[in-house]
Amino acid sequence: MDLPPAERERLFPHMKLVEMPFGMVLYESGVVLRHIYFPVDSIVSLLYVLNNGASAEIAVVGNEGAVGVSLFMGGETTPSRAVVQSAGSAYRLSRARLKEEFNRHGQLLHVLLRYTQSLITQMAQTAVCNRHHALDQQLCRWLLLSLDRLETNELRVTQELIASMIGVRREGVTEAAGRLQKLGVIRYSRGKITVLDRPRLEELSCECYAVVKAETDRLLGPR
Amino acid sequence: MRATLPDNLLLRRLGARDRRALLLENEPIQLKAGARVMTAGQRLAHVHFPIDCAISLLVEAADRPLLEIGLIGREGMLGVPLILGVSQSSVSAFVQTPGLAWRIEAARFGRCIDASERLRRRMQSYVHVHLSQLVEAAACKHFHKLAERLARWLLMSADRLQSNELALTHEYLSCVLGVRRAGTTLAARGLQERGLIAYSRGHIALVDRTGLEAAACPCYARERTLYEHVMR
Repeated sequence: MDLPPAERERLFPHMKLVEMPFGMVLYESGVVLRHIYFPVDSIVSLLYVLNNGASAEIAVVGNEGAVGVSLFMGGETTPSRAVVQSAGSAYRLSRARLKEEFNRHGQLLHVLLRYTQSLITQMAQTAVCNRHHALDQQLCRWLLLSLDRLETNELRVTQELIASMIGVRREGVTEAAGRLQKLGVIRYSRGKITVLDRPRLEELSCECYAVVKAETDRLLGPR
Repeated sequence: MRATLPDNLLLRRLGARDRRALLLENEPIQLKAGARVMTAGQRLAHVHFPIDCAISLLVEAADRPLLEIGLIGREGMLGVPLILGVSQSSVSAFVQTPGLAWRIEAARFGRCIDASERLRRRMQSYVHVHLSQLVEAAACKHFHKLAERLARWLLMSADRLQSNELALTHEYLSCVLGVRRAGTTLAARGLQERGLIAYSRGHIALVDRTGLEAAACPCYARERTLYEHVMR
């Protein structure tokens, strides 16, 4: 997330650069939040979790956003679980500092509020996507959203992970990935997916990717 | 006497000064069934605080309703983007059940929020509820069985309207559940056979509320608890 210069100067001394290893749980749903995270080159998945443990992704957060928006909404806990989906680092700010900053009514407040609106869009669109779109399209959307948050065209993910994010069985993802590979759009090997033809990937995705991208760009500026 | 008048719960819980700032010289308007109150991508001219109507938040595709992602009644408000400093919404909204709502101009609402820290905080708490409801709704649509989801949704609607009689079209229910009409019919018939609802063309009555609560997925109870917790 791009902080305005004044905020950056004020906040940087209080921010801590932390490592975000793959699979790390930043918070569980219902747990009291203590920090807000600003991913630098990591990706965090927000997952909804049912009582029986089943889960699926509802949004991804990368360097365009922040994890823990509930902190400034007056909700101390969150409805979702946050897990590192792609390893990297993030800046971490304590709850107390964040609240102090908020009381100043500076630019950070505005940026984070606007970001929250883009998160709402992403969540609504994910719900639609899960309900209405074919697995192949969902896979394309998921790959694109992740790619946009990384500097490379290579994702280090297993098919199990993708399956648990989309909320389907692994076999389904294997078949869908196989079809994309046959079309020359991606190449996958164990634990790695390389995107070879991004324009084609966008064509094969449902409109959900474009909707979320356009809204995020509109609210936070194109990246 | 005043306390027994129907009102929007968010507004009722505001302090007198905030309430006055928002509502003075304003009067509730009647919203007609099916009326469009918000269009994705367009500027929000107003916020709405339902009194005894229900407003459905929908994602549209090719200008047709595709999926309902939220239902707003007396417990909530329409216009979350304005709380977040954003002037347009990314989803659309239609009146699901006609009735009264307070309607406040976007500019006035913005001025009130800027002027009152207390009001801003209350409204941001509601954003948190709204976000949580979105997450719940997505989880529910993904994982739960049709009959459970229908039961939950009927309870949510009845709560928002404070009525056990709901006027609903099949098309709309399909949009709520995200399935074809045939699936909707089957689910409604199932609940009727269990004696939980009475269902006729365009109309559903909740016959056995307790039974319906038992038939609903846990999302119903979770959402109620959350609202009480955050907005208390």
